Amino acid sequence: MNENPSTPKRNRQGMDYGETEEVQETHAAIQREKREPRAGLEPLSLWLIALYGLAVFFGGAYLGRYSGDFSGDGLDPLGGAQPMKKNAAGGSGATQTAELTPAERGKKIFSANCATCHQMTGLGVAGQYPPLAGSEIVNGGPRRPAMIVLKGLTGPVTVKGQQFGSAVMQPWDKTLNDQKIADVLTFIRQEWGNTGGPVSPEGVAALRKELAGRAESWTEPDIKAVPEGADLPGGAPTDQTKPPAGASPAPKA
Amino acid sequence: MKGLLPLFLGIFGTFAFSWTGLIFIPNLQIGHLDPQTEEDGTDAYPSPRSGMAERGRQIYAANGCNYCHTQQVRADYAGSDLDRKWGIRRSAPRDYIFDRPVLLGKMRMGPDLANVGHRVPVTDQNAPAPSATTSTTTGAPVAGASPAPAPAASASPTVSPAPAAQTASAPPASAQNPTPSPSPSAPNEVVTAINGVPIPYTEAWHHRHLYSPRSITEDSDMPAFRFLYEKRQIAGQVAADALNFDESSTDAPPSGWEIVPTYEAKCLVAYLMSLDQSHSLKEVKTAAAPASPPAPGKQVK
Amino acid sequence: METVTTTGSAASRLTQQPQGGTEQVTPGEIENVERALIDASTRVPVLMFYTSAIFWLLVGTLLAAFASFKLHSPDMFSGISVLTFGRVRAAHMGMMVYGWASMAGMGTAIWLMARLCRTTLRHPLVLVTGAAFWNLGVLLGVGGILAGQSTGYEWFEFPTYAGAVLFVAYLLVMSWAVLMFRFRRGDTIYITQWYLLAAFLWFPWLFAATHVMLFVVPVQGVMQAVVNWWFANNLMFLWLGAIGLGTAYYMIPKVIGRPVYSYNLAAIGFWTYALFASWTGMQRLIDGPFPAWMITASIAAAILSIIPVATVGLNHHMTMRGYFPLMRYSPTLRFTVFGAISYSAFSIVGIIISLRSMAQIVHFTQMSVAYSHLGLYAFFTMVMFGSMYYIVPRLVGREWRYATLIKLHFWSSAYGVGLMVLMLLVGGFVQGLSMNDASLSFTESTQSVLPYLRGRSVSGILLTVSHFIFAYHFVLMLFGLGRTASVPTFLNPIEPEDVHP
Repeated sequence: MNENPSTPKRNRQGMDYGETEEVQETHAAIQREKREPRAGLEPLSLWLIALYGLAVFFGGAYLGRYSGDFSGDGLDPLGGAQPMKKNAAGGSGATQTAELTPAERGKKIFSANCATCHQMTGLGVAGQYPPLAGSEIVNGGPRRPAMIVLKGLTGPVTVKGQQFGSAVMQPWDKTLNDQKIADVLTFIRQEWGNTGGPVSPEGVAALRKELAGRAESWTEPDIKAVPEGADLPGGAPTDQTKPPAGASPAPKA
Repeated sequence: MKGLLPLFLGIFGTFAFSWTGLIFIPNLQIGHLDPQTEEDGTDAYPSPRSGMAERGRQIYAANGCNYCHTQQVRADYAGSDLDRKWGIRRSAPRDYIFDRPVLLGKMRMGPDLANVGHRVPVTDQNAPAPSATTSTTTGAPVAGASPAPAPAASASPTVSPAPAAQTASAPPASAQNPTPSPSPSAPNEVVTAINGVPIPYTEAWHHRHLYSPRSITEDSDMPAFRFLYEKRQIAGQVAADALNFDESSTDAPPSGWEIVPTYEAKCLVAYLMSLDQSHSLKEVKTAAAPASPPAPGKQVK
Repeated sequence: METVTTTGSAASRLTQQPQGGTEQVTPGEIENVERALIDASTRVPVLMFYTSAIFWLLVGTLLAAFASFKLHSPDMFSGISVLTFGRVRAAHMGMMVYGWASMAGMGTAIWLMARLCRTTLRHPLVLVTGAAFWNLGVLLGVGGILAGQSTGYEWFEFPTYAGAVLFVAYLLVMSWAVLMFRFRRGDTIYITQWYLLAAFLWFPWLFAATHVMLFVVPVQGVMQAVVNWWFANNLMFLWLGAIGLGTAYYMIPKVIGRPVYSYNLAAIGFWTYALFASWTGMQRLIDGPFPAWMITASIAAAILSIIPVATVGLNHHMTMRGYFPLMRYSPTLRFTVFGAISYSAFSIVGIIISLRSMAQIVHFTQMSVAYSHLGLYAFFTMVMFGSMYYIVPRLVGREWRYATLIKLHFWSSAYGVGLMVLMLLVGGFVQGLSMNDASLSFTESTQSVLPYLRGRSVSGILLTVSHFIFAYHFVLMLFGLGRTASVPTFLNPIEPEDVHP
């Protein structure tokens, strides 16, 4: 080994070893050190390669066995056993909806979402919620009511000569899909002695697309700006060319 | 290895690969879910929690409840979660879309809480309200609190103590209680049941349990959360939300004092009461029809 | 401690030395001087990192012991919010991961990088500031957790402001690392440098990405849990694990004075590690509300990670072959080899408990705590202890004072962590079995694990003792009370036949 580092020659203070004057007096630990590590170049052993192969095989097999088809619905592992439709949330079960007419479906939607304010009687609440029964907006062209349902309505509004203004209607475009909006519109336009025609989901979809950029609710002038009898964009004609509404895959709400 | 660039690219590439595979693609698949609604637009599930319950979630996280309690029910082939009636179906991503932070947990030193707030409205008049458990096991008349006709559910008095609650999976069973509900003391109260087995996790139960876990389950290893409760002198009348204790209980405050939950405790309990995954989801099979609950004590494969 | 000015003069001397001294001294001696100067230049920051790390280790150990006792005596201090189990446990994790492990790792990494880049440390003040800020971040984070501001994401509990401080501190440290690489000398990049460079780059990406996905543009619902475990797992593997493996790749060949067995094995080991270890982690969410393929991919990656484990393990084993008796003498070697072997054990346990058939039983049990401690303690912490036993004498110019204390430290650490892991592995298995038996009440599953938790508390006492012994020894070194000798402190007297087998 090297000389004793604690010779009196050392010009050190405290723990400071590295700062000596003489090159020879660098810290003993460094002088006795082995050289810096480097890498040898031994080849891979065959056994190791065989182990790699095994690991890849088992890893791959495991992945194949429990991959759940790499779908986002295959809950871990393969929990959603029965094949689920991709759009479980929006795609209403075709078997159930086919049994009901649009107006019947609309009635359920109405009672769930609209009746709190507009009442099952369609008469609304005086001064707060306008009636739907006999309303000129509902009985006119489908465009106006569809606009209101999609984007909501705020501010005062006059229906059947009465002023309503203390409540707002929320937009439903995030909550209800086209099929449901069409159904509920069909329902309110034919119930309570109303005389409006049916509304197609395709028309609602087209209107939804047209209004996609709009964030805020309508006010009465917005609605009055639309001609009373205005129809939905491309509503009626496409209705006949497309398959029946109940079977069509409705887009996600 | 020579050259920094291949090294750097490799380091970046492996990281990006991992991020893409484990975060980005799953996020495309399950990161943008909407609440589920019935075909007629009714029955939206799940829905956001109230402000108090959200505050309770922060308290739940801050006190590390998630280190001992999970909030996820596994499927029937993995573990005994369904047999233990911690839920009627496995959990799905959609159950958690409003949860932030999401507190799934990874350890069960306490039971799963995914459905601890599960409640269904009273349909069966014979099913006694959970408040009925009060007097039978203890025999001690409940002093002070119950006369107050407070609408708050917390008016429902003490829970049955340890003897009836040796097991946590079959909590203090009000079903054994022959006494009908004594009075409509808590009109908001609803009977809780999963598959017909009542689970009387009322607010009063939670408060009592948080304050003194071992007064309800003897073997519980849950720490008591007494710092969430305030001990104060009774001013005039006993507060409506004061905790009730048996007179023999060592937890009971000296006479003239009462123990009331702080706002934080109320938030925490509101959060616990809001934990409920009993709503069916289309992407998940519900384990058993409500009519035929699985046989108790079923062995796991 | 020395001031920065001396390191500055040391740096200038490094550049002057070759002109003045080439005639008289041999290249080997120049190399020695160069190393001495490099070591001297790293002294202040590395010792600062080490001192802070050991401080956090002690506090964290005490918190762990407290939390461990809380588990079987839950009524202790139940009226004090700061001391409730959930907060203490989170504070313990935060201190250990960010305070102890990260700071010790950064200290060692700085020293190793300076040596391997063969350049003196430039701007040590940056590092000192970084260390100070990092300490502040840990302090804020732990304080925030204890005050009830935990974020609720495991391993990421620090409130966001503490995380921000940590990140700033980290950028200071990393900016230095980049500088060091810029000025490196020699054209080969040694294996250790791959790991260290990777760790230094992975950490900020990981930390920033997680922070953004959890707090800035939060992901929805269960994706938060995905991000959370992706982070926690990669913090273990890509940050701490990479530093630990890199350190072992330096210390083992260095101490025994032999080249690493094979460059090829090292390269395969490194790249497969980077590829597969970063994909594990989701198996902690097994059977949860997640797509099956995501979990399975992580399990498959865990299975594939046997490739780097076997490769690295074989490489170390072949390097060590014939030199194992040296573990009797060198503290560094003994700790490092213990850590390297634990890394293999850690990975193999990780594979076994992630397989679906096994996870059914042991998911949600104490087994996961055993697994974390295998990785964080038996592997990483032991490697860090080993590197400290090597590096600290070179920084303070003294040899470790008592061989007995080192031996005591080693054995109480080794037995402590061994007992803890064993207790929790067995306890977790028992707990899982009784949890899955629905005919038993749930409390029976927690009751069944209680004896093992008590055993774990005993191991906690062992670890506490070991850490205080080490801290005491370290403080002696820090105050210049180590031995002055030309031979290192060997654990046992050298027997000649063991030295050159």
